[in-house]
Amino acid sequence: MRTKLKIIFGLSFLLLGLVACAALDNGRDLPLRHYSVADMGQTTTNCLECHEARDEKLAFGDFVHTPTWLQSHRQRAYQNEAVCSMCHQTSFCNDCHATGNELKPSLKNQTETYKQMQHRGDYLSRHQIDGRVDPTSCFRCHGNPKSAKTCVTCHG
Amino acid sequence: MKKCLGRMFWVGVVLMFCGPLNAAAADLNIQSDTLLRGFERDTASETDAMVMPVYEYLQFDMEDIGTSGLSLHFYGWGRADLADTDYYDRNTDGELLYGYVEYSGKQARFNARLGRQYVFEGVSNESLDGLRLSSDLGRYFSGSVYAGQQVAMSRENSRSGDSIYGGRLANHLGGVYDLGLSYKKIRNDSSDAEEVSGIDLAAYLPYNINLHGFSSYNMVSDEWAEHSYELSASIAMVSIRPYFQQFQYNDYFGTGDNSSRLFRALAASGQELTIVGTDLSLPVGDSLLLVGKAKNYDYKRLYDTAQYLAAQLIFSGEGMSQLGGEFGTMLGDTAQNEYYLLRLFTYCDQLGESLPLDFISGDLVYVGYDQPINGEDSSLFLSLGTGKKFMDDALELKLSADYSSDPYFDKDLRGMLTASYNFSTSL
Repeated sequence: MRTKLKIIFGLSFLLLGLVACAALDNGRDLPLRHYSVADMGQTTTNCLECHEARDEKLAFGDFVHTPTWLQSHRQRAYQNEAVCSMCHQTSFCNDCHATGNELKPSLKNQTETYKQMQHRGDYLSRHQIDGRVDPTSCFRCHGNPKSAKTCVTCHG
Repeated sequence: MKKCLGRMFWVGVVLMFCGPLNAAAADLNIQSDTLLRGFERDTASETDAMVMPVYEYLQFDMEDIGTSGLSLHFYGWGRADLADTDYYDRNTDGELLYGYVEYSGKQARFNARLGRQYVFEGVSNESLDGLRLSSDLGRYFSGSVYAGQQVAMSRENSRSGDSIYGGRLANHLGGVYDLGLSYKKIRNDSSDAEEVSGIDLAAYLPYNINLHGFSSYNMVSDEWAEHSYELSASIAMVSIRPYFQQFQYNDYFGTGDNSSRLFRALAASGQELTIVGTDLSLPVGDSLLLVGKAKNYDYKRLYDTAQYLAAQLIFSGEGMSQLGGEFGTMLGDTAQNEYYLLRLFTYCDQLGESLPLDFISGDLVYVGYDQPINGEDSSLFLSLGTGKKFMDDALELKLSADYSSDPYFDKDLRGMLTASYNFSTSL
C-alpha cells in the first residue's frame, strides 16, 4: 500500500513537473500531423522531396522509406515515435506490432505487394531456418505469451 | 476491490463523454476492414474441411471532442468461423488492440493517454492498460513516463499483482544528435519479471553520415542484453548502411512469465549472437533501384556461422506501381540452415480505362531447401489480387487468391475478399 501511494504521488509530481516544463517553451515545434495526401496532391515516402536531409528541427533524411526501411525503421521509431505518428496511426503499426494478432501482416494486406511485408509466402517452412539462425528477429514481435499464440501449437 | 475500481474507472471515462460538452464540433472517423477467407484444412473431425473465417478490423477515432485537443481512439478485431469447423481453438476470437482517451496540448507537444495503448520508445515495445504522459521539456529535452498493467499478461494467472512502468528522457539538438535514456520494469504476480534500461543514440556526423545506436541492459542479471549500431551514408550515388548487432541470449530473452516459453528456453542456452551486415542501394535512372544485402551471423556456442546474401531490382512507376524481384540465399554451415529464395512481385494502379479495376497485384515466392522439410525440398507460393473503389473512394473491394505447394500443404488454394469502408463526419 505504501509503495503504491509512493508511485501515485511520484507520478503526480512528475505530471506537474512535465506540465510546468511544457509551459516553458514550444520545444521542437513539430506539428502533430503531416499534410495529408489530399493536401500534398501526391503520395510520397521520400521526405527529401520537400525537406532538406537535416535542419534544426529534424534529420528528415533519417525517415526516408527506402527498400530496407522495414529493417532500419526500428531505431528511428524508438527514438522519434512522434515523427512516425505524424503520418501513421498506431493501427498501422499493429499489423506487425500487436499483442494478439491472428493474421500475419503479409496476409492481412495481401494485395499491397509493394510493402514487402514480413513472412510472405510459405513462412511456416522458412521460419524454421530463420528462427534457428536469428531468433532475436522473432522475439521482437512474438516474445510475450499473447503474441506467441501462433507459436504455441508447435512449440508448446 | 480492484475489479470494482477498474469498472468505476471505465464508467468514469464513458461518463466524461456523456456529460454536457462544449457545443464545438468533433471529428469522427470510422475505418472498417472486413476480410472473408476460404481454405481447406484437415481438422480433428474432418478431412479437407472448408474453413471460412471472417475478420472484422474496426477503428474508431473521435478528435477535438468538446475541448480542442481531446480525442478518443479504439481499434480491435474479431473473428468468427462461418463454417463452424473445429479448426480454431475457439470458433470466435478477438482482441481490443487499443482504446484510449487522449489529450494533446498545443504547447510543447504535451500528450496524455489513458487506456489501452502501445508504447514504442527506448526499451519499451509494449501494450499496456494505463497512463502515458509525454512532453517536450524546453527546446533541448523531451520526456515520457507510463504506468499500468501489461496487456500481454492479461490471460496469465489473473492480473492481480501485475504492473509495468517506465519512461524515457531524451536530449536533442536538431540535426546534430538525439540521445535517450529509457527504463522499464515489469512485475507479474507481485514478483519482478523484467527490469531493463537502455540508451539510444542518433548522431548526425559530417558528410551526411548518420550513426544510430541502441544498447539495452538487463538490470536483473546485471549484463548488457543488446547492442545494435548502424551507420548510413551516401557515397556518390550509392547509399550504404553497415550495421553491427550483438545479443546475449541469457539477458535478451527474458526468463520471467512475461516472456513466452519458447524464448525462455533459449535464454538458458548461454548463446551470444553477433550480426555484421550491410545494405547497399544504387538508383539506376529515375525509376530503377538496385539493392544488395549481406549479413553474417556468428555464434559463440554450438553453431558456427551463417550468411544471408540477397539482391533486389525494383522498378517504380507512376502512383504506387512497382515491379520487382529479389534473389536471396541463406548459407549455413549445416545443410539444414541453407535455402535460396526467389521473389517476383508487381503492383499496378495505373490501369487507365483498359480495365474496370483500380489495381492488380501479383506475387511469386519460390524457395529451395538444401535439406528437405517433411520430404519436400522446395515451396512455391503464387498470389494474384485486384480491387476497385466505390462511393467516392469510401468503399474498396479487394479480391485475392493464393496457391501454395510446400512441405506442409500440397496444392493449397485460398481465397480472400476484403471490404474496406471509411466513414468520416463532423458532429
